[in-house]
Amino acid sequence: MGRLEGKVALVTGGRGGIGRAICARFEAEGAAVYAADLSEAGSLDAAGGASRFLRLDVTREDEAIAALARVRDEHGKLDILVNAAGIEIEKTIEETTLDEWNRSFAVNVTGTFLTSKHALPLMRKAAEGGSSASIINFGSYDGFIADPGLAAYCATKGAVHALTRAMACDHGPEGIRVNAICPGYIDTPMLQSFFTGEGSGAGGKSIGELQQAVRDVHPMRTYGTPEDIANLVNWLASDEARYASGQLWVLDGGLSAQVQQMKI
Amino acid sequence: MRLTGKTALVTGGRQGIGRGIVEAFLREGAEVVTCGRRQDPGGLPKGCGWVRADVSDPAQAEALLDAVGALDILVNNAGVQVERTVAESTDADWDLVIGANCRGVFNCCRAAIPRMREGGAIINIGSISGEHADPSMALYNASKAFVHGLTRSIAVDHGPRIRCNAICPGWINTGMLDAGFDLARDPQAARADAIARHPVRRFGEPADIAAMAVWLASDEAGFATGQLFTVDGGMTAASPLNPGLF
Repeated sequence: MGRLEGKVALVTGGRGGIGRAICARFEAEGAAVYAADLSEAGSLDAAGGASRFLRLDVTREDEAIAALARVRDEHGKLDILVNAAGIEIEKTIEETTLDEWNRSFAVNVTGTFLTSKHALPLMRKAAEGGSSASIINFGSYDGFIADPGLAAYCATKGAVHALTRAMACDHGPEGIRVNAICPGYIDTPMLQSFFTGEGSGAGGKSIGELQQAVRDVHPMRTYGTPEDIANLVNWLASDEARYASGQLWVLDGGLSAQVQQMKI
Repeated sequence: MRLTGKTALVTGGRQGIGRGIVEAFLREGAEVVTCGRRQDPGGLPKGCGWVRADVSDPAQAEALLDAVGALDILVNNAGVQVERTVAESTDADWDLVIGANCRGVFNCCRAAIPRMREGGAIINIGSISGEHADPSMALYNASKAFVHGLTRSIAVDHGPRIRCNAICPGWINTGMLDAGFDLARDPQAARADAIARHPVRRFGEPADIAAMAVWLASDEAGFATGQLFTVDGGMTAASPLNPGLF
């Protein structure tokens, strides 16, 4: 028997790299899963493809209301909300346009706010039975320490961290736990884009050399997979984590446990 | 079962949080040994091995790990607390707290690392008190900050062969918590006030910490290392200054 049997889950960014792995894991653990995203992109046979698709632009309140209305009509409650939708602009603040800045906050911060706000009534319903409901936001290790050329992204993730603690304080007494996962380097389309982007500081290195250099700087000598993240999302979503709330859970292969690595 | 085929040593597992971890590991299929200073632990769960050892003594820690042999999981849970400020603390307090909480963790890690199998996991019990000071717990607070620093060092030095993380429990229903409330002028009112400061509106149970320990010990946590994992019912996410409780 799966660990999420009988639970209803909604994953924003559910067709993205990490979102798909979370949906697949939730399905395997017995939950009813909605994958919410801008488009149904990609193969439905791939991991997470079996989840019910919900069209959702997280920056739009009308779409958040409509998406949660469908969950209400079909299940009457929501046990798990994962706010995984996110974008990354690879620029310094000087290069970042106001539009890019606003779009970063709209998806990463406002999206977390809007989806959570309209999910709360359904999550209180889920918590009525005595087991807690669980919101899992996506922060980042970049919310603690900066990667170069990622200014707006770093700022949005810091905002998500503070929002996570605030939501945990406000809604804990209603039986809703709120945590954030702070991934380090995870093998996703977003990371591949970072490797090939101008902000990566590749300095003439090939992508392969850059990838190896990134692996070498990790104490675990590898970067993570979406499944590594799904493993922790699954734990935080489950009743085993019933005392875990208001925390930022760094999962980065030990990267941020080190001081800056000098090349000597 | 998530720990089948794995051998685990949990120090100080006779009672409290350690006992919760021992029970959870056994349920998940691990072979479990625990230790303590008593000759006879009395009433350990069925199947749990016992070695008499004071981990603050390097020779006894070595003998303990000799007795355990090759292992996959080490949980450094054994610890003591003394409720005193720096000005009140005696040399004996220092030896007791630093001996068990710092030297004991170091002794066990040093003895265990060469004996650990590839993919092994060390889980240290740190504390929220290592990040935020509890009043009149000076040596305890400092000893847990030591544990947090050592945790990062082991992760950096001994990865990728071994992962090392710390769990930072908040206020967990154990004898240690009772001892803390005994310091209050009105222990009953202090308890009610403390619960109101927890977003989840209760204290933790040893099983809450054991649930995190199982996850960190399992292969699911293969990318988790060098981190402090706080499980405190949301207490430290909230500001300690709470006007609603004035």
